[in-house]
Amino acid sequence: MSKTDSIIELIDVGIKAESLRQKAIANNVANLQTPGYRRIDVKFEEVLAKSLDSSDSVNLSEIEPEVYQPKKTPVKPNGNDVNLETEVGAMIKNSLRHKTFIRLLSKRYKQMEMAINVGR
Amino acid sequence: MEIDNFFGPIDIAISGIKAQGKQLELISSNVANARTVDDGKGVPYRRLEAALKYDDEIGGVEVDKIETDMSDFLRIYDPGNPQADKDGYIAMPNVNLPQEMINLNIATRVYQVNVAVLKRYQRMVDNTLELLR
Repeated sequence: MSKTDSIIELIDVGIKAESLRQKAIANNVANLQTPGYRRIDVKFEEVLAKSLDSSDSVNLSEIEPEVYQPKKTPVKPNGNDVNLETEVGAMIKNSLRHKTFIRLLSKRYKQMEMAINVGR
Repeated sequence: MEIDNFFGPIDIAISGIKAQGKQLELISSNVANARTVDDGKGVPYRRLEAALKYDDEIGGVEVDKIETDMSDFLRIYDPGNPQADKDGYIAMPNVNLPQEMINLNIATRVYQVNVAVLKRYQRMVDNTLELLR
């Protein structure tokens, strides 16, 4: 059950989280060979689901995507755990999600436009 | 490895790409060490092979462990070599180059197929998103 009527607001936080995740991926790829670097990821879906589940009213603008180090991938001898294949996969998933949000947003605007044009 | 339904095929294809990448790494190690007589402990290099495993559920592939091929070393007659034994024989690594070449071909093809699956699934999702236009 959604507690907000504002679809646009929801898509907005989604797109913001997605671009933050894209930044995290770019950062990981840039540090592919940096000794001791651990990959970072963005926790957003879990945070969103938790706040939608809670009984309090939800203020979408307060949902902050969280940057964290998953520390799940195997560490290379130089202490670095970035894997190019994993990052490529994350990037593909991220861009597909991004595309979904953008499509939903443009669909919403088209609906509004349709309403405006009623009776013309 | 965690799989969510919608992006499952992507995670699985990536796991395949990773596993074949490891396989390629081991093949290149085997080929590079095809004539390494001393591995640092006085014995020739032994060829390495990746053991792949899968989870019970649909969850892609994983490199379980890297195994050493314990088959016999190749003994060649080379009396002039300072490392040869008193009969003039020298032990060579158990790397068989033609076999490595075939493994290389297989690993490359499987890698390509995984990339193809990934691309195709991406296109399928794109087509689904076209419905939302």
